[in-house]
Amino acid sequence: PPETRAAARARPRSGPAPVTDVAKLCVCDLLVAQCDVNCCCDPDCSAADFSLFTTCSVPIVTGDSHLCSQKAAIYSLDVEANPPERIFKLIDQVNPSVFCIHTTNYKQALSLSSPEMPTSENFDQLLKQFGSASFSAEPDSWSMNTDAQNPSDENETYRYEYGVPIQTADAFLRLPSPVVSSWCSDANPAGFLVNQATKCIRSVSVEKCGNIQAVSMLFYINSSILAFVLQVNITVQSIVVQSLNGMRTLLNGSDVLRLPMILDELCINIVLGVTYHITYTDAGEIIEAAASFVLGAINKEALSIQQSFEISFTQVNTKPVPLSGNPGYVVGLPVRAGFRPQGYPFPIEILFAALVLNTNKYSQLTILQSTSNQDCLAAQGARTPILFGYNMISGCKLRITAAMKCQPLTQTLLDLLKGQSFPEYVASFGNSQAQDVLDWVPITHLHISEQRIHNTFQSSCQIPVSLEMEVKWTKYGSLVNPQARIVNVTATITTTTLKQLPSGRERTIPITSSVVFTDISSPAEPGYKAWPTINAKLPFDFFFPFV
Amino acid sequence: NNSYQLSSVPLQIVFYVNGIYYIFYFLATLAMIVYKCQVFSYPHKFLAPDLALLFVMAILEVLRLYLGSMGNLTEEEAPLVLSLVIMVGSVILSVYFLVWQTYVLKADVIINAVLLFTYGIESVLQVIAIATFFG
Repeated sequence: PPETRAAARARPRSGPAPVTDVAKLCVCDLLVAQCDVNCCCDPDCSAADFSLFTTCSVPIVTGDSHLCSQKAAIYSLDVEANPPERIFKLIDQVNPSVFCIHTTNYKQALSLSSPEMPTSENFDQLLKQFGSASFSAEPDSWSMNTDAQNPSDENETYRYEYGVPIQTADAFLRLPSPVVSSWCSDANPAGFLVNQATKCIRSVSVEKCGNIQAVSMLFYINSSILAFVLQVNITVQSIVVQSLNGMRTLLNGSDVLRLPMILDELCINIVLGVTYHITYTDAGEIIEAAASFVLGAINKEALSIQQSFEISFTQVNTKPVPLSGNPGYVVGLPVRAGFRPQGYPFPIEILFAALVLNTNKYSQLTILQSTSNQDCLAAQGARTPILFGYNMISGCKLRITAAMKCQPLTQTLLDLLKGQSFPEYVASFGNSQAQDVLDWVPITHLHISEQRIHNTFQSSCQIPVSLEMEVKWTKYGSLVNPQARIVNVTATITTTTLKQLPSGRERTIPITSSVVFTDISSPAEPGYKAWPTINAKLPFDFFFPFV
Repeated sequence: NNSYQLSSVPLQIVFYVNGIYYIFYFLATLAMIVYKCQVFSYPHKFLAPDLALLFVMAILEVLRLYLGSMGNLTEEEAPLVLSLVIMVGSVILSVYFLVWQTYVLKADVIINAVLLFTYGIESVLQVIAIATFFG
């Protein structure tokens, strides 16, 4: 009947009443209708159970000790008796202090207050009192509707500060990111000076190729960033096209907008990754914004793609010097390396920056990256940066057929193992400057060949099969703050003989590359201060009358 | 010349002792209220009346002791009677601090009991003094 239902709804549910009777409170009574072992206050235990106990886990239960006189229940086991029996005493404990509570007229003082149970009536008031931003409904300023937004009065005296969402003509600069699950949510704004990199999954299909907004380049560059009094347009810095098998090519002309379209049952020009580069001044204004895209293609079977987004901020007129530590290397940061440009005679090198480093700090010293299809020849140059302190090993499988020629294969494998620009020098400290050549450690190359002793007369073809880099580092500096310093880097290439295969046969050999960091620091020698000397000299006229 | 002097010496002594004791009582009660604030849960809803009544009691006490002392020394009945009336208020307030305070500590019980005892002696001596001045 509706009356009882209404009454039931209106009556606030409250928690169970607190137990305050000392004789009835038993915290070790955890099993319902069963005797808990060594729980002397358990009402489910019989005298026979008590005879099996060794000790009482709860020896005393008292009331509030601030009171002048409080009840206490004492449980103990009388082990002398045979069989052992439980003794229960209810006594009045007296607090001898003169500041004990004689009476109190504020009854709630002696117990913890029960929280208010939320009902439909008091929910709003409780939400206002205890709810914070995570529980509040979507605030109005987050609405993505263009008609609900009035941005013209917001860029008057607007100065960006760290973490403030970057505003665009309509809402915010979006950096889609996974929210609860891995699916992309477009409501994540990019914060000023917050370098972020996110990856998320978006559901796509070839049929809806042109209709999904978030896979088209236009979605990411059509709004202009509001900065102070200017509006900064987002320019396209570069476009990389990734083919279905993962090969990436950089496009030459990057000012043309490529929109998704269907071509040969594939949907091409789908945005797989966006990297925003924002240039700002020290007054908090954004003066330039550029976006680099990675476009890809999907076929009929693809149901979802992974998109990756990144945003980075650079201050205007500065060249960011990526340090990997100050001064010692920080574990996890990429090892800095560079190479000496050709053609400079030795003395001039001291004047100019002697070493050339790749501006991307993650591309200075790299190692082959294993891919899901382990074919070496299809790896297409995927490399991962070598991070200080992280030993890595990677590899691939090389399928050798009879038709392969030795020299091109050797060159391909060397390129694969070493990468396009293998550096010559590695920075010994994380903050080594390119001008100080002495701060840089040259990479020593070693060559080991697995020779078969017999077959020396055959013109043997040596192909490199593994590259092992060993980075020896030491702890440098004070005992409490040791800094990591690279002392020695050795790159060892192991080659093996490639035997000529009969035609039609194939062989698969594994190619590995690894990097190992070895700590060669010598144990620290503590330095002690000199022992204090007693500087006691007699005055020169001490033995006056006799000297 | 003692026989012509109506002022009661014991009453004056009790007034003097009462004054000194009350200073101690006031400071002790205030200190204990501060202690209770720190150690126990003392919401403002309960703290405000206790403090207010303590200050009211201090004012009444000063008034009462002044009137009583003046009345005794000038051998006037009116101030003594007024002092006795104010004492009723003081007694009620002392009983409040003894029984109806938010937290009554054992020390509270002791000092209020002593205060009530002093009031008892004082009231008896005051009535005798009023009777003496009337007659």
